Amino acid sequence: MITTNFVEQSSLINDQLGGRMKEVVEYVAQFIVNSPDKVKVTEENSPEGVLLRLEVDPDDKGRVIGKQGRVAQAMRTVLRVAAAKKGTRVQLEII
Amino acid sequence: MESQESPKNQESQEFSAKTVEEATKLALEKLGAKREDLEITVLKKGKSGILGLGAEEARISVRSVSAATTADVPKVARDILSELLEKMGVKASVEIVEPPLASMTPDSKVVALDITGDDLGILIGRRGQTLMSLQYLINLLVSHKTKARVPVMVDVEGYKRRRYEALQSLAERLADQVKSTKRAVTLEPMPANERRIIHLALSNDPEVTTQSVGAGEGRKVVIAPKGRETHPQTPRRATESDFRPESRERQA
Repeated sequence: MITTNFVEQSSLINDQLGGRMKEVVEYVAQFIVNSPDKVKVTEENSPEGVLLRLEVDPDDKGRVIGKQGRVAQAMRTVLRVAAAKKGTRVQLEII
Repeated sequence: MESQESPKNQESQEFSAKTVEEATKLALEKLGAKREDLEITVLKKGKSGILGLGAEEARISVRSVSAATTADVPKVARDILSELLEKMGVKASVEIVEPPLASMTPDSKVVALDITGDDLGILIGRRGQTLMSLQYLINLLVSHKTKARVPVMVDVEGYKRRRYEALQSLAERLADQVKSTKRAVTLEPMPANERRIIHLALSNDPEVTTQSVGAGEGRKVVIAPKGRETHPQTPRRATESDFRPESRERQA
C-alpha cells in the first residue's frame, strides 16, 4: 500500500518536473515556427533524467534548429537550468 | 541575430506609380501610415521613357513595421522573459533598465532587462554562456512577436554592467601602458560582446588600435600602438590582476 503510494507520488512529481520543461520547449517553439499547431513535445523519464522530443512541421525544422544549430543549442542550455533547478538532467531531441 | 523572414502576420502590399517616390506617397496615403512605420522594398524602379514611350511604372512592396510595436519592445521583452523564467522554474523578477553606457555607441538603440532574485548564478553560466543563450532566445522570440529589430540585452543582477565597466577601465589602463611601453598587449580570450566593449572603449583613442585575433573560443583582443609595425606574437599577456582594478589601486 505504502509502496504503491510512494511510486505513484514520485511518478507524479516526475511528471510535473518534465511537464515544466516541456512547457519551456513548447513556448519557444510555438513562437518561432510557422505552424504552431503542429508543435508537439513528448517526454520520457529515464534514470538519466528527462528526454524531451520536439516534433514540428518539416518546414519548420530549420527554424527550431537554427543556423549551425544555434536555436537548438540555446534551448538546450536554457533547459539545463530548468533541469538543474529540479535536480535532474534533460536531453532534447528534435525529430 | 537570425534574419528569418516568416510570412505570418506580415501582409505586404504592392503599389505602383510613375516613380518610386510617388508610389511611396500613394502607399502612405492609402494605408494612412507614416514613412517610419513602413518597410518599403522597391520591386521595379520604373523608367520615365521618352515622351511617355517605353515608360515603365515603378512598383514597390510595403510591409507594416509600425512604430507602435517598436515602442512596445521593452514591455513585450520583459513579459516574455518573465514567462520563460517562470516555465524554467526560476523565481525571479525582471525589470526594464537603462542599458550600460559602456556598451553603447551614439546611435545604438538597445532595450536592457535585468533579472533579480536569489541564487541566479545558474543563469549566468561559465563565462556568461547561459546568459548569452537566454539572451539569444529572448531576441528571437521578441523579434518574432514585434517584428521590430531592436536588440534586447538580458542581464542578471547587473553582472554584465559590472563586467562591462571593469572591461572599459581595463581597456583604458592597458591603452596607457601600450602608449608608454610602445608594445602591444594581448588580453585574455573573451566572448564577442566583451571584446566589443574593449574595441568601443578605445575606438576614439588616436594613439592605439585594437584588433581581435584567434578563432572561436580563443579569440582575444590585441591593443597595439598606432603608427608602426606591431608584433602581436611578442606582447605581454594581461594577467589576472589587470582584471581587478581595486587590487591594483591598493598596491599603488
